[in-house]
Amino acid sequence: MEEVLRIEDLHKSFADLAVLKGIDLAVNRGETIVILGASGSGKSTLLRCVNFMEIPSSGRIVMNGRAVGRAVDGKQTYSEKELTRLRARVGMVFQHFNLFPHMTARENVMEGPRTVLKLDPAECARRADTYLDKVGLAWKADAHPSELSGGQQQRIAIARALAMEPEVMLFDEATSALDPELVGEVLGTMKELADEGMTMLIVTHELGFAYTVADRVLFLSEGRILEQGTPAEVLTYPTQEGTKNFLRGHGSFRLPEPQLD
Amino acid sequence: MEHVWDFSALLNNKQLLLIGLRNTLILAAVCLGLGLFFGMLVGAARYSKKPLLYWPSTVFVEVFRNTPVLVQIMWFFFAFPIISPFDIDAFSAATLGLTLNTTAFSSEIYRAGIRSIERGQWEAGKALGMSYGEQLRRVILPQAVQRMLPAFMNRAVELLKMTSLASVIAYPELMYQAKIISTIEFNPIEMYTSVALMFFAIVFPLALLVQRFELKHKAR
Ligand SMILES: Nc1ncnc2c1ncn2[C@@H]1O[C@H](COP(=O)(O)OP(=O)(O)OP(=O)(O)O)[C@@H](O)[C@H]1O
Ligand SMILES: [Mg+2]
Repeated sequence: MEEVLRIEDLHKSFADLAVLKGIDLAVNRGETIVILGASGSGKSTLLRCVNFMEIPSSGRIVMNGRAVGRAVDGKQTYSEKELTRLRARVGMVFQHFNLFPHMTARENVMEGPRTVLKLDPAECARRADTYLDKVGLAWKADAHPSELSGGQQQRIAIARALAMEPEVMLFDEATSALDPELVGEVLGTMKELADEGMTMLIVTHELGFAYTVADRVLFLSEGRILEQGTPAEVLTYPTQEGTKNFLRGHGSFRLPEPQLD
Repeated sequence: MEHVWDFSALLNNKQLLLIGLRNTLILAAVCLGLGLFFGMLVGAARYSKKPLLYWPSTVFVEVFRNTPVLVQIMWFFFAFPIISPFDIDAFSAATLGLTLNTTAFSSEIYRAGIRSIERGQWEAGKALGMSYGEQLRRVILPQAVQRMLPAFMNRAVELLKMTSLASVIAYPELMYQAKIISTIEFNPIEMYTSVALMFFAIVFPLALLVQRFELKHKAR
């Protein structure tokens, strides 16, 4: 198995608040990893360190076998240029979509290839068509975000990230801001990506989704990985008290599964 | 006292008035252009975390926002030449005063406009791999400028009216020309009435435009 991403002894503090306290994780190509944990356990911070929306306090991120940054006196230092290049290779999907409201759906999807990758117009157009089609919204290409439902907006946001043809996709509670009836279509899109072999790190509270789609489930607690394994291992036969408590508090685990197709 | 309105002297001095009108428009346009440009830079400096950019720009803005433009113009015309090696003509002094004033106010408009864009927009651009400049240019400014437009047009309205202050240092804009004509022709009533009407004719449509814009913006 080919390793795409490795997180080594990652620490992150905000002022004197230690949020991540030593995360080690190796992610294989095509793997879908779901990250669970209570509010404030550091899930978002972990994702945001992977694409350097936050700069790790210590530790290393290794992409395709190469560490990001340079070690100076035993500490990683980063150049802004290297970080923007890295971010272009990692897709991120936000809870609140964050589509660009002054652009149409199509322009949103084309923006990365155009401004960041500086691809020629024909290739930008090809990618826009490909990825709008992939999320099933080619027919909404000329709509502005304000004319789309939340679910559609999130699928456009996924297409926008995919158009960069990233190595890894990060999803931070991509369905938490959606009305319940719109959650299914976004989870469906995410499942398709997983099935096609996209490497994904997903923070979600949809345990049904975690159970059926994840290759591996991590349970994060107070900035550490408390427990990890297959969905069955973590969700059905948890060994740690913290995981058990979390699952007990999660009645939604027993709700019917969303329609994924 | 009965006043007999007589606008004939106006027509005799049409040429002088037109020169005044032209100079008013030139002064306003130059100061608006320069003020909006420098305002962007000063606004960006006030957005900066670097103290060397933040503090001077902040002091600049506060000084020029909190002193009368008339004082600024007089200062540049009468005081500045004494402490500096340059001579300064009326146009330059007026331009300096009005430009710096417009810079100070418009920098605040830029700042507030950029502030008004949610953090998620910056983040989305950043996550795509955009540099800071690309985030600003492609994502933030296109949205912010739309919100700033009414405020900028208000600035233009204010600026047009403020140009009349340049008459105190003998810059031959509309107001100064009117003063000259009225002392020659002894017709201050007709003269200043006409000047008021001319300003109104220029400024009012602009003000209406601003109002329409603001209404449209609220409706969205
Ligand atoms: N930029 C920041 N500055 C200061 N503190 C922060 C910052 N970002 C996160 N934190 C703090 O770090 C801790 C972990 O936050 P994080 O967002 O990673 O948690 P989370 O597991 O994603 O929680 P949630 O489920 O509520 O989204 C919280 O206490 C949060 O207040
Ligand atoms: Mg979070």
